[in-house]
Amino acid sequence: MIRDTAFPDLSRSDAADEARTEFVVDEDAFRGFYERTSRGLWAYLVRMTGDRELADDLLQETYYRFLRAAATHENEAHRRNSLYLIAGNLARDARRRSLARIPAIPAGDEIEQVSSASPAGSPEGRADLARAMSALQPRERAMLWLAYAEGASHEEIAGALGIRRGSLKTLLYRTRRKLAALLGGGRP
Amino acid sequence: MKRMECEFEAEVLAAVFQSRWPEQAGEELRAHVAQCELCRDVAAVAGAINESREALVAEAALPDAGRVWRRAQLRARREAVDTAGRPITAAQVIAFACAMGLLGAVFGATSTWFQGALGRMASVDSGAVLASAAKLLIENGAFVLSLVAAVFLVPAVFYVALGRE
Repeated sequence: MIRDTAFPDLSRSDAADEARTEFVVDEDAFRGFYERTSRGLWAYLVRMTGDRELADDLLQETYYRFLRAAATHENEAHRRNSLYLIAGNLARDARRRSLARIPAIPAGDEIEQVSSASPAGSPEGRADLARAMSALQPRERAMLWLAYAEGASHEEIAGALGIRRGSLKTLLYRTRRKLAALLGGGRP
Repeated sequence: MKRMECEFEAEVLAAVFQSRWPEQAGEELRAHVAQCELCRDVAAVAGAINESREALVAEAALPDAGRVWRRAQLRARREAVDTAGRPITAAQVIAFACAMGLLGAVFGATSTWFQGALGRMASVDSGAVLASAAKLLIENGAFVLSLVAAVFLVPAVFYVALGRE
């Protein structure tokens, strides 16, 4: 993963224990992990839900579930995959519960091409992207975000989204084409 | 078969992630992207998404790690207390059911109406017992239903209510 950093090894219990009050991850290790991942994760949640307040809530819930999970992580990339898997599932569940708060997804033919004149970094450009992203399926949005915002490898994306690695290349290609078309073709 | 990957894709992505695209990406790469549909899509999509991420990251106002940690610990403790309390709740429900049963037994032992009904049932044959039971049910349906509810339903309702607290 391009945005990867080192993380001290965390030894965790394999047994799930509902009544656990102490996390096996210590506070210092958590602080470091949080500092490295929280902003990117929040941006991911905003794009997945289309709602900043909901993203705030889901961010805390994601870290809580991450801490409570009794999973063993081999390395930083694996740990991040778990975090994004939890976040993705929470965003999907939240979306199902509050569909009214998130823009409806039009069918493929009804998608209006967004303006290609707005530069990507401008507020108009970001609004264009938000509109174009909202026209994608949640899994498509997650896939593109992990690939092109988080710089995740195919293996990491497959792990974080629960997709077979063999299908990912085709899915990513199609979704990228779709978003590029919605953005009005490639920018120079 | 349609091409889904280009050997320059990684180079284009690296230029986007390092904010070198397009000005500082090199003439050769720009020329390639101009004529390669795949790389054009990668540059457009990765450029837009990456810039959106940077903008969101810059404006994110998040709680600090210590606060998230403390909240998580408090919540874990609360959930642990709830989990530990579940067997007590179950014991309370069993005790309540026993108390209701005892109450029913006391009622049966002290109520002349109930004993009379039982006596009448004992003095007749089995066919008559069934008829008597049916009659009892018809004549005192509300009472019988209340008794059944008290013995079976009330403990269940208590269990559910206490379990959700």
